[in-house]
Amino acid sequence: MNERLRIFLKALAAYVVLNLIMLAGAGPTPAGLSVYNTLWPGRVRLPWGERPDLAYNLSLGNLDAMFASHEIAVPKKDDEFRVVLIGDSSTWGFLLKPEETLAARLNAAEMQRDGRRVRVYNLGYPDFSLEKDALLLHHAMAYQPDMIVWLVTLRSFPRDAQGHALTMANMAEACAAVGRTCEPRVRSLLERTLWGRRREIADLARLQLFGAAWAASGLDQYYPTQYEPVQRDLERDEKFRTYDRASGLPRVDLTFDAFDVAAHSRVPLLIVNEPMYISDGANSDVRYNFFYPRWAYDAYREMLRDEMRMRGVRYVDLWDAIPASEFTNSAVHLSPRGSQMLADILVRDLER
Amino acid sequence: MRTMSEIQSKLARFIAEKIMKQPKRELNPDQKLISSGLIDSFSLVDVGLFVEDEFGVRIDDVDLTVELMDTLVLMEQAVVARRNA
Amino acid sequence: MLTQIRNWGTFVVSALALFWLQPASAVRHLDFWLPCATLALAAVVWVWTLPVFEAANRREVVVDVAVLVCAVCGVALLRDVPALVGVLTRTPPPEVAAVALVMVLVIGACAAVGRMRGKAAWAVGVAVLIGLLLLQKYAPATEVASGALRVLQGQSAAHASAFDWRWFGFSYVAFRLIGVLRDRVIGRLPAMRLREFVTFAVFAPALSAGPIDRPDRFLKDLRAPYTLMAPQFFAACERLLLGVFKKFVLADTLALIALSDAIAPHLRPGWAWLPVYAYALRIFFDFAGYTDMAIGFGMLLGVRLPENFNAPYLKPNLTQFWNSWHMSLSQWFRAYWFNPLTRALRIRGWEPAPIVLLGQVSTMMLIALWHGVTANFVLWGAWHAVGLFVHNRWANFARERLSFVNERPALQRVVNMAGAIATFHFVVLGWVWFALSTPSAALHALQALLFLPGLR
Repeated sequence: MNERLRIFLKALAAYVVLNLIMLAGAGPTPAGLSVYNTLWPGRVRLPWGERPDLAYNLSLGNLDAMFASHEIAVPKKDDEFRVVLIGDSSTWGFLLKPEETLAARLNAAEMQRDGRRVRVYNLGYPDFSLEKDALLLHHAMAYQPDMIVWLVTLRSFPRDAQGHALTMANMAEACAAVGRTCEPRVRSLLERTLWGRRREIADLARLQLFGAAWAASGLDQYYPTQYEPVQRDLERDEKFRTYDRASGLPRVDLTFDAFDVAAHSRVPLLIVNEPMYISDGANSDVRYNFFYPRWAYDAYREMLRDEMRMRGVRYVDLWDAIPASEFTNSAVHLSPRGSQMLADILVRDLER
Repeated sequence: MRTMSEIQSKLARFIAEKIMKQPKRELNPDQKLISSGLIDSFSLVDVGLFVEDEFGVRIDDVDLTVELMDTLVLMEQAVVARRNA
Repeated sequence: MLTQIRNWGTFVVSALALFWLQPASAVRHLDFWLPCATLALAAVVWVWTLPVFEAANRREVVVDVAVLVCAVCGVALLRDVPALVGVLTRTPPPEVAAVALVMVLVIGACAAVGRMRGKAAWAVGVAVLIGLLLLQKYAPATEVASGALRVLQGQSAAHASAFDWRWFGFSYVAFRLIGVLRDRVIGRLPAMRLREFVTFAVFAPALSAGPIDRPDRFLKDLRAPYTLMAPQFFAACERLLLGVFKKFVLADTLALIALSDAIAPHLRPGWAWLPVYAYALRIFFDFAGYTDMAIGFGMLLGVRLPENFNAPYLKPNLTQFWNSWHMSLSQWFRAYWFNPLTRALRIRGWEPAPIVLLGQVSTMMLIALWHGVTANFVLWGAWHAVGLFVHNRWANFARERLSFVNERPALQRVVNMAGAIATFHFVVLGWVWFALSTPSAALHALQALLFLPGLR
């Protein structure tokens, strides 16, 4: 028993010492222990999952760990022309298998650029927020992209829609990404201990473990057998969030400044107004779809075009490029075929 | 090797000859027979039947277990206990 | 004194634990009645198997019954204490009057069946228990039963589902009671008091996942003077913590990536082994962890429950695997099925090979069906039955011809290691049947695991 007690006391002492070591370092929990791209193959899209038990995937706030688990963390080859896709769940590929996403379709086209092989990386991440997109782009700069393709839609623009979990968890970098300066949040003593970081550490460990399921099955999201298809018949409602025809869509309320960092990065940038479902059902004369009344979306398109012209950024507007039949459960989620169609269009823009 | 009692040597001979089919094999009184895999559950029933024929005591089906029959010593104890009962 | 407190405490707490652990059901009050049914069954079997019906000490019986009745009524009375509703039972219990009426009926039934004794009557008892097990394990029957119960409670049968009917701990309780009835038939059952018998049948630490103890062994511990010295206490805590670690750290972590119906259709050759290994380790650590916790709790109460696992994945052959996996269940089947069958056939002069085949196939089928009446459990049982038979015949063949291996320790070690690796993988492939719900899902997974061309 005495020996057991000694072992217990030693373990307790080790735990206390580890906590003290953690206290000394104030930064985020390190992601250096990633086993992706070594033990497991890297993920083809960033880890995200609301139901880890079903999706074999999880959402976490640690950007370093997220990128370390992605195939983009493999050193760039000399003959590689590296393209990163930034965007929302549509780019990430909600309901699409890894081989059906826009990035996968573009890779399948085996493009060449300046004598190098074009390799497209999917850095899309679910939910609509330009600042979240800018944050991911800012983080992606460390991985030497040769070109950035950023797919956007109106829902990502309103200022009051920016509080994304990922930006909240990485406030300092998120501010830097859009050219603001913020005081980094100071972690309390307790938050810096092993105990205070148990969630972060557990998330990191689970991310590594889910890599086994990813390697074995290629599963990284839950595919329901049935889903509610995109809404065809619409309410007779002309509101977009709090805006209506009378108030209009004030330009200052849209987060155009999120493009600043990308524009200053000197990496060629292509902004794509992403395709959306255009309904022909009830009240489709006032609304394009569940997301957008016609007046607001039309105003947005005009503003975006002007903004890109002013900035001198390459811009393609593909808002109506995909037929209504190729959308799945939301106005921007593409079917496997829709994803192929979009890729076929973008190939032309990428080879130029 | 320890000397074996009469019951033990009879059991040892039966197990070596009929179950293990190695008549020359010497068994140790404390050697684990079931948990080491030398005797399987089918052969254990044969041991039970042999005990019944040879020593005139019945070892119930519920007693043909590793705990009660794993070694020659245990088997002997089982026989003696039932003889005296 | 301490022993008395321990005995009464274990008795009452085990009875209450039945209510506490019983999951909720959509059928009204079923989460109250199922634990009651478990206790009633135990009481009936006790009366039934008394050595002589009148022999019981009346005063003791009255006290034991009174305590049990008070415990159950106490649970029912909690419905009137708003702060305590949902603490012991998941949903509010039924009216105390209804409970009292049912208890009078149960006591009457005990008195009635107590007089119907003899091998035939006990055989009927075994059949009833098996029937109740089937009701729980065979989904179509479960649905019918749940429909009937819904109607009885004035609910619509339309929403009946097998999910309504989760009789907590019954698989293990039923096996203990069947064993008791068999022991009574062969005259092996020790005389027990009602409270001892109920404690044995529903011993709280062993309710959810066994092990299945034997009554004579259990009784010996229960009657021994109870002490709790420091070394014993620490050893018990160590065992408990080990169980907690195995179950809640290892098993629950491995569960994240373990083979399941969700991942099976997507498995890719090569890496496909990972979720299957994870499943194999998970099911072991889960079950062994529960067993460690049960044994640890038992030690705290002065009861040495039987071991259930003995490093099963390290065994050099399938026969030894089954001697060390879920040992109390396989021991149960050996005692009450395999041994009697083998003995009967051996006496009739059958040859070993057909006996082994019949004995092993039937035993494995029964073990499989105990887990649930589905095609995949049957296939899992068949997988192991064939494996055991093949190993038995091979061992028989090899004993004479390959005895030189035993004489060379180094060679023996190599053979054992190779055997352990082969056995582990045979078991792992068997888990594919066990883990997945349909044969086609299992075949697809096996195809990916074994790099086979399309079987679908």
